[in-house]
Amino acid sequence: MTAETLNAADVYAGIGDAPPPVLEIEDLVVRYGRGRAALAAPPAVDRVSLSIQPGETVGLVGESGSGKTTIGRAVLGLERVTSGSIRFNGRDVTNLSAKERRALGGDLRAVFQDPYSSLNPRLTIGSSLAEPLRIAGVTAADAAARAGAMLESVGLPADAAARYPRQFSGGQRQRIAVARALITNPSLVICDEPVSALDLSTQAQVLNLLADLRAERKLSYLFIAHDIGVVGFLAQRVVVLYRGQVMESGPAANVTTAPVHPFTQALTAASPVPRPAEQAARRAAREASGVKTAGNADFAGVGCPFAARCPLATELCRTERPPLRAVGGSLAACHYAEEAAARPIA
Amino acid sequence: MSDTAAFPTRSSQRASRRPLQAPQALRTLLRSPLGMLGLAWLVVIVVASLTAPLWLPYPIEYQDFSAVLAGPSAAHLLGTDELGRDVLSRIFAAGAGSLITTFLAAVVAIGVALPLALIAAASSARIETIINRVTEIAMSIPALVIIIAVIGAVGTNLYLVMTCLGLLIAGGIYRVFVGQAKSLQSQLYVDAAEVDGLRPAMVSIRHILPNMATTIFVQFVLVFAIGLMLQAGLAFIGFGPQPPEPSWGGLIQSASKQIYVHPWLMVPTGLVLVFTVLGANAVADTLAGGQGAPPSQVALGPEARRRRRELKAAAPVAVESAPEGMLIVKGLTIGVDDGPELVSSVSFEVAPGTVLGVVGESGCGKTLTALSLVGLLPPGVNPREGSIRWGARDLARLDESGLAAIRGREIGFVGQEPMRALDPMFTIGYQLAGAVRRLRGVGKADARAEAASLLGKVGIVDAERVLRSYPHQISGGMAQRVAIALALAGRPKLLIADEPTTALDVTVQAEILSLLRGLVAETGMSMVMVTHDFGVVADICDEVVVMYAGQVIESGTVHDVLGAAEHPYTTALLAADPHAGLGVVGQERLASIPGQVPQPRDWPTGCRFADRCAFAQPQCVVPVPLIARDRGDGGVRCVRVHELQLGRLDDPVPLDAATPVDGGADPTAPTTAAAPARNGKVRS
Amino acid sequence: MILFVIKRFALAVTTVFVVSVLVFLLVHAGDTTPGVVAVGIGGTQEQIEAYNEQIGWYDPLIVQYLAWLGSALTGDLGTSLTNGSDVLDEILRRFPVTASLAFGATVVSSVLGVVLGVTAAVRRGLADRLVSVFAGMGAAVPAFWLGIVLVFVFAVQSSLLPATGYVRFEDSPSGWFSSLVLPVLTLAIGGAAFIARQTRASMLEALGQEYIRTLRATAMPTWRILYVHALRSASLPIVASIALQFIALFGGSIIVEVLFALPGLGVAVQGAVGQADAPAVQGIVVVATLVVVVVNLLLELTNSFLDPKLRTS
Repeated sequence: MTAETLNAADVYAGIGDAPPPVLEIEDLVVRYGRGRAALAAPPAVDRVSLSIQPGETVGLVGESGSGKTTIGRAVLGLERVTSGSIRFNGRDVTNLSAKERRALGGDLRAVFQDPYSSLNPRLTIGSSLAEPLRIAGVTAADAAARAGAMLESVGLPADAAARYPRQFSGGQRQRIAVARALITNPSLVICDEPVSALDLSTQAQVLNLLADLRAERKLSYLFIAHDIGVVGFLAQRVVVLYRGQVMESGPAANVTTAPVHPFTQALTAASPVPRPAEQAARRAAREASGVKTAGNADFAGVGCPFAARCPLATELCRTERPPLRAVGGSLAACHYAEEAAARPIA
Repeated sequence: MSDTAAFPTRSSQRASRRPLQAPQALRTLLRSPLGMLGLAWLVVIVVASLTAPLWLPYPIEYQDFSAVLAGPSAAHLLGTDELGRDVLSRIFAAGAGSLITTFLAAVVAIGVALPLALIAAASSARIETIINRVTEIAMSIPALVIIIAVIGAVGTNLYLVMTCLGLLIAGGIYRVFVGQAKSLQSQLYVDAAEVDGLRPAMVSIRHILPNMATTIFVQFVLVFAIGLMLQAGLAFIGFGPQPPEPSWGGLIQSASKQIYVHPWLMVPTGLVLVFTVLGANAVADTLAGGQGAPPSQVALGPEARRRRRELKAAAPVAVESAPEGMLIVKGLTIGVDDGPELVSSVSFEVAPGTVLGVVGESGCGKTLTALSLVGLLPPGVNPREGSIRWGARDLARLDESGLAAIRGREIGFVGQEPMRALDPMFTIGYQLAGAVRRLRGVGKADARAEAASLLGKVGIVDAERVLRSYPHQISGGMAQRVAIALALAGRPKLLIADEPTTALDVTVQAEILSLLRGLVAETGMSMVMVTHDFGVVADICDEVVVMYAGQVIESGTVHDVLGAAEHPYTTALLAADPHAGLGVVGQERLASIPGQVPQPRDWPTGCRFADRCAFAQPQCVVPVPLIARDRGDGGVRCVRVHELQLGRLDDPVPLDAATPVDGGADPTAPTTAAAPARNGKVRS
Repeated sequence: MILFVIKRFALAVTTVFVVSVLVFLLVHAGDTTPGVVAVGIGGTQEQIEAYNEQIGWYDPLIVQYLAWLGSALTGDLGTSLTNGSDVLDEILRRFPVTASLAFGATVVSSVLGVVLGVTAAVRRGLADRLVSVFAGMGAAVPAFWLGIVLVFVFAVQSSLLPATGYVRFEDSPSGWFSSLVLPVLTLAIGGAAFIARQTRASMLEALGQEYIRTLRATAMPTWRILYVHALRSASLPIVASIALQFIALFGGSIIVEVLFALPGLGVAVQGAVGQADAPAVQGIVVVATLVVVVVNLLLELTNSFLDPKLRTS
């Protein structure tokens, strides 16, 4: 598995003969609501671009209100795109109708956060699993057989197909949700906080399952999470969002261990590690870094959205939105990324 | 994540408030005597009315001149009317017509309201608004007045009248339906179906409609009841169906003319009507009952009286006084009244100025343990054994007024959901200043000033503005600061914090943890921190107890427990934490624990973790005491602790070899992978 | 907030307008023309035709409606076909009767319903079951039936109160009061049952909220938690249910007026419909709707004022 995932990252690095990306998001903007008030507020997703190579996992990290879930939903066609484009396997999938989505033939799938609402309580596991196949025109018998096989490959007995969601625990339901996503043999799966509702031990089970299936099936994931630790485990590349904008993006190792954007630094520094001595040092470094409270740091839509909390912010940051540019091995949207990168940070 | 739906814990609330499923609804109905009675009556009335021609004792127009306006007799069980006609025969002969027309009203109301609700839920906000407005207009029209006007125009055509009723009432029904349809529409399985490209209409039919079945039936029955009442009312004021066709309304109409002469005539038809409406309502109530309110946070009525009686009856236990500011919990067992045990014999101490972490997965009893320390257990859940010593008092045996004297003043509490911890109806100033007045007995103006200074203390800069705000006007992080200020209002010596940062963003969590740490250092208070996050434990706690399935399975200093965990559960859980590897690149797999935390009713008598443990052996089936740690102070609940010496491994991260592949095993089956004898070093 | 008020007001105006159109069409849908009614049984076809012609009955509907609307807006609702009296005068004369009845019943059912609902939610156990029985019965017993029982007990058997009839307040306040006791009770019981159920459910919902735990954790006395905080939060759905109930009570007053022979709008609309008195029917229905809508609007605005989220938006 390691070999393959490394390959994917290598291929991405060597731009020369790269295969076409599975997913290409360009200048995506999503606004909620309509009318003057909605236009005045900064959009939920603000000119976000990213791409995913075959076999690659891209992690999308951010706090609440960062727009990470909105991006996933826009790719899935669940959120109306205001401007920009989304290309999936070379094909424009921006704002598709139900009929056009059907034509994708289950190549683009999703695993959602809440295992309690992601399965219809009135349908058996089997018929929930068979639904996407039936929509694609597979016969009932074939669909049932594939559902049984799929359940086994996510570690559930095939007879689970006859049971109802309420008979399963949260972790098991999330396995079922994974099975439902993969039953159509997709090339890309959008995982929207797939483990954040689970306890540690079950979370590890599901993360391992996702890693195994990725290796087995050469899957690409857009892995959305608020927890940089979880993202760091699964993703080869990480994109960090704040208030709808990309702050930093780059190889997972760079972003999680040597972040260059002050926000990413704040995010990794705030994430506590279960080693008391190390955590004490991290906390001291964080408290010394001068990041301001999230409190009521409003963002009017001008300049860098993180400026109100950033210890390095100057007048420039408050008036001019920094472009995404190469800093070290990553891309960062910060006027002072070099200075930030040079700071000692946990 | 095993929801213990039978017990009033937080995690079960979500599950118990889901709409009833059809098979479940039927079972609820069969279990309720009142619902059954209602259903039985409805069935009898409907069957008897529809089969009336087959069994009626008299033809409906047969006149017994010897018994005009007679009371009940053997010949006429329910008496006779002014023309000597048998009332029983007329009631049941009329039944079919009345029931069918009322049925029509219900069909029309549901038939109009349901599609509108489905469309509104599935469509854009604009279409929903239009439908909402139209139905609101229908709702604010006085239905009876309009129906009388209709009767004036077209005469007493019951089918038409009942159709009108159905239309007018559809607005109200729509309101009920649209709420549920919208909440169903926001379910993730609907999103999943949309991703598949399922047509919107099909999404409604396949994923929304079946989940509304119970609500639809309940509303149907309620409209039916309203229709029957309205028909009777119309008949009473002279707009009933015209003779010779008998109908319940018509019977009441003619009976009402004899009220002062022969009041009995009102009784049989009236009772049949009343019972039918009662029966319909009983069925509806029983079915809707499953969607009732969340369990109360205050013990009231019989529950409160029972607890008072129990406390009075309990023999006074001689309680050793705890040193000032020290909390000593000994053998604390908590259970549901007449139900299972939820926390088993938990012991720990909290010294002044220190922070104790209580850590574990959901369903392990850590929140209940924390709540018991402030006497805030949900009603019906009480301490059974053991003691919670605080000064000279035993909080496990204290009544409500005794606890009220301690809450806030000596022991403060901060909960998990800051946005739900504040009353949305009152300003923050009102709530905070009120708490200060109550807990410190100061005047109004002083309390307000103190409230502002408390907000300053918890790091809120614009205190005056926040005091004037309502909870919905501030962010989650700010709300948690306010909740902490509330907990500090009485200058407590001990703060119980139940997952205070779980609902917050990680940068806000770091701020709140710093704040709490600063408060502990500054005020010298002690704290109990409940969390599922070992990182939080590492950040703020001095001592820690790890809970599993209602028991403490490991305790000790944070350094010992996190740095050299000795219980297989603790080691496995630490290994499963992706943050342990934060910064560690190329980690291929996380260690994981097969299966899940067992529910209280499934707790074994032996080691409760044995089923999932990689090191389980036959000796693990006997009850395990807390054994002194291999190294350091504290305890470990594992019979093999000294033999395994997990804490002495150089690398605390165990690996795949230690844990069976999570993918393959049936989660309910015991661990399949044989526990390797693992005394030596392990590889990462 | 202001936008909200404007929206509700617009909706109220629309409701009255819709009803006026509806009733206008209904009056025209009947097969009895005004001429038949006005001229009386002895009239000839020519007389009838002439009458209809004179009032413009054969004009296009839209012209007729606009004419009616125009005069209605200036306070002229036309004259009754049966006794030639001014419809508006007749309504104003009868309005106090219906108003006393409907408002009395609303007040009684609100107070009774809230008290019973709160008691059931707070005391639980036996009190809860008794209130449930009351609520169940109250919702199932038709008003006229209950009224007859009340008359039987309080008027026929014990003559404590008058069985029927209405005494004007100006004539005798105490007589007015006792003439209204039974009708108001009759009408209020069903409403009280409805409001009691709503109150109980809202109280229980409020008591299950997490902030109740915060209040307990800061040593707030239980009575304050129950009667200040829980009741305050339950007040929104309770007022909403009272608003809904008023609509039903206003309609239900027709039946009660007939039962107790009270000279109110209900009896008038019953008579007018029975005699196909088109202007009277139109006038009374529109005025009744207007009253219901206005009261409903006031209650709704009260409710939005009670809700901090709406008030601060």
